[in-house]
Amino acid sequence: MSQSLRPYLTAVRYSLEAALTLTNFSSQEVERHNRPEIEVPNTSAELLLQPMHIARSETEQVLIEPSVNSVRISLMVKQADEIEQILVHKFTIFLEQRAEAFHILRRVPIKGYSISFLITNKHTESMKTGKLVDFIIEFMEEVDKEISEMKLFLNARARFVANEYLGEFVY
Amino acid sequence: MSYLNNPAVVMDNGTGLTKLGFAGNDSPSWIFPTAIATSQGNSTASKKMTTNSTSGSNVTGSGNPYFGNSTSATSFNNLNSSMLLSNNLAGKRGTEDLDFYIGNEALIASQGPSYSLSYPIKHGQVENWDHMERFWENSIFKYLRTEPEDHFFLLTEPPLNPPENREQVAEIFFESFNCAGLYIAVQAVLALAASWTSSKVTDRSLTGTVIDSGDGVTHVIPVAEGFVIGSAIKNIPIAGRDITLFIQQLLRERGEADTSLRTAERIKQEYCYVCPDIVKEFNKFDKNPDKFAQFIVENQEKTQKKVVDVAYERFLAPEIFFNPEIASSDFLTPLPTIVDHTIQACPIDVRKALYNNIVLSGGSTMFKDFGRRLQRDLKGIVNNRIALSEQLSGTKSTGVDVSVISHRKQRNAVWFGGSLLAQTAEFKSYCHTKQDYDEYGPEIVRNFSLFNMV
Amino acid sequence: MLHLQSSNLLIQKTFTEALEANKSGEPLTFDRIISDFDYTNFHVSNDPENKTQLFLSVRTKAWNSILNCDSNGSQGVLSYLAAKYTKLAGITVAGGSESGFDYTLAIDLNQLTGETIVQLSLLKTNIMSYPFYLAFQEFATLSTQNPTTTTVTVGRFNEETGNVSSIDVSSTLYTIQYRDNENMFIKPSNDRITVIFETFFQDETDKVFGKVFLQEFVDARKRNRDIQSAPQVIFSTEPPLELQNHLPKNNEVNDEASKRFITFVLFPRHFANDELQFKTVSQLTLFRNYFHYHIKCSKAYMHSRMRYRVDTFVKVLNRAKIDEDDEENGNTETKRTITGRKMVY
Repeated sequence: MSQSLRPYLTAVRYSLEAALTLTNFSSQEVERHNRPEIEVPNTSAELLLQPMHIARSETEQVLIEPSVNSVRISLMVKQADEIEQILVHKFTIFLEQRAEAFHILRRVPIKGYSISFLITNKHTESMKTGKLVDFIIEFMEEVDKEISEMKLFLNARARFVANEYLGEFVY
Repeated sequence: MSYLNNPAVVMDNGTGLTKLGFAGNDSPSWIFPTAIATSQGNSTASKKMTTNSTSGSNVTGSGNPYFGNSTSATSFNNLNSSMLLSNNLAGKRGTEDLDFYIGNEALIASQGPSYSLSYPIKHGQVENWDHMERFWENSIFKYLRTEPEDHFFLLTEPPLNPPENREQVAEIFFESFNCAGLYIAVQAVLALAASWTSSKVTDRSLTGTVIDSGDGVTHVIPVAEGFVIGSAIKNIPIAGRDITLFIQQLLRERGEADTSLRTAERIKQEYCYVCPDIVKEFNKFDKNPDKFAQFIVENQEKTQKKVVDVAYERFLAPEIFFNPEIASSDFLTPLPTIVDHTIQACPIDVRKALYNNIVLSGGSTMFKDFGRRLQRDLKGIVNNRIALSEQLSGTKSTGVDVSVISHRKQRNAVWFGGSLLAQTAEFKSYCHTKQDYDEYGPEIVRNFSLFNMV
Repeated sequence: MLHLQSSNLLIQKTFTEALEANKSGEPLTFDRIISDFDYTNFHVSNDPENKTQLFLSVRTKAWNSILNCDSNGSQGVLSYLAAKYTKLAGITVAGGSESGFDYTLAIDLNQLTGETIVQLSLLKTNIMSYPFYLAFQEFATLSTQNPTTTTVTVGRFNEETGNVSSIDVSSTLYTIQYRDNENMFIKPSNDRITVIFETFFQDETDKVFGKVFLQEFVDARKRNRDIQSAPQVIFSTEPPLELQNHLPKNNEVNDEASKRFITFVLFPRHFANDELQFKTVSQLTLFRNYFHYHIKCSKAYMHSRMRYRVDTFVKVLNRAKIDEDDEENGNTETKRTITGRKMVY
């Protein structure tokens, strides 16, 4: 792990731990509704907390938007070049397609980010907060790793394929 | 775009067999087991890279085992295995995903030490998407030789397939293969469409009861105006495999010279028929010894011959559809009763139409007079009920017309129905195209408009 | 499967079936469509009167451009194919091609052999090879005219100045329009034959992947000593100089931007004899299909990787779930309703 990644992840971890103090909260506007306040246009400012923005570089950022009963976490995954852009896009689309299995994954990311999670008080009640934070951190690590592995694979495969094709011309 | 001229590709991936072909043809171009043989991690077999495609001359012309269209999903382990194993990619790291075989070649390859065989479809639904994706990849590029970007595809799905599975199919076909357009049809609806070739069918409606009997299981599926009535579908655990096993059991009891599964299957395909009445049929056999047949088994080198007598199993084997108690102890309801129950479970306004159009599909409905017997038995059940209700209510019924349709395309009815629909000019307008997919995402395939053929 | 076969497996299978059915005395009735890459379709049918007489018709997108390759009109390719096929047992060229198709062969099942079937399955490759054949011939004349090797720069220079009269570079350029937006160009000169592929990607992902693949084709030869003798590969986003006099200048529109050009430089050793010529041509005609196939395989492989990732992520997430049993043993104070649901206050 590189020098700057560790403090970045640590910062995200502590911010998340701080943000994940959620409580059940009935809607103030609609009777008998209970909705993630971060996701609805809100007139009462006291329900939304200060968003946190953690950036490692221009392409690696995390936005944590806490509210009284929900937290929205948006990740920007490192995309150094065209290939990584495509791969990140493919990967996040693929994950979002299976959002059902992930419970906390948002089907659409926040504008400007690669992928977003929405954790509500329902989730913190049925899951351990610490482990949820672990998941987000592991996810951030693994995504980077996966993208670079896929990129390596693509190059290796292209090289192999080209070699084999041209090898057919060697008589 | 000039893919207008290209024929659509019709693929029917069943639990046992896959049928592949082009729209407009009257039979599938390829029929082979839905099986894939993948290389097992570090294969101990030959590590050297052998290239296989220098010219066409290394393909043996005739008698090539994988040219044959299968009629069975069972591997009989008699295929020539040497020709394949020379072609092993595993020597290079990172290319394991290219090292696999499908269909008959998979059955051959799996006999070697370095490949393991698996069937990606279980009970009609795709279980292993990785394997299925590669199965399609090879189907398209090797067997059909098509560039998916230039062709429309018609795929089939079993009734009650979850929409998520459709989305996965779309994801594979549009993202991996960039296919030009995709239509996913329900197998039962295609089987109904296939029956339009029969002279008995006058109106081209998509209402009817489909009896689909393959190797593993028999389904009775009611369809009303192109929509499957899911709540009324019934399954029968008797199908082709059970008939074969029953014949094998009879052969063994008699102590025939050859009682292999393969022999039993050949006897099933060549000699079996459905009789109107078992008792009379036994008498007929006893009076008329011509009815007994002999089946000659030759070994591969055609040097030895074994003679197997074929006796009452000629009519007894298919009889297990109508009298299951002769073969099974846990399932005892005859097929006609199941069909009747299925239709009775449907909304009352479509029942007449469902009785009126009972369509057979699949290899295990191919026995001679199968349709006639089913029609007679079912008519009996229906007439009894009508008589009872007339007696109870004192009114006169208008009667229910029971008709079972059997036609020449029955064996691959689903594929053939797909071929019929996909060759029509409107087909492409019913498909979802790559552009649609890119714009809206996989959820577009949740809905397909139905063909309106009238 | 690593390589695509140059022969069509389905044609082989169909004719093998026909042959066997004929041998057993029950010839089959055929009316079948068979497809191949690049808008190529075959049609296998019977003679209505005589079931042992089969027709194999082909229609391919490249046909018209191949006819135009020859200055003598369409006779060239027809006689080229006729020469290839009529020498085989049981094959004659049908009087006229079937309507809707470009070329038709008549096959007599009684004389058909396995080797002939293989040749039939190579019909598309053989059609595509005609412009190559012309190029090989032209190369032969050019190289005898000017035995001293001219350097590339001179050849190029002449091209650039439009000085076509120079004898060391042929003015001919064979164009095969084998797909809608993609063409193949063959240019013979006195010491080499240049084959240029124009590639075009409809899909964004493919465009990026394709770039990686094409770049590797260029680098492969430099990197790997074993394939030093393979043709040199050059990749460019601009039309290569060989093409600049031939491509229409006016279409400087957006779709041009996504076009890329791949040049294969064939040296005499790649087409020294008939067998090598056939190998080279069948490889080259499958070039586009080959790398598109592999782009698709890579995407399929990535899908399986991603499926695996999804599984592991879900596993990690599920670790966070509070185990029902734990809760009951450790935390008995949870308030529950009478039906066993957790109290929510």
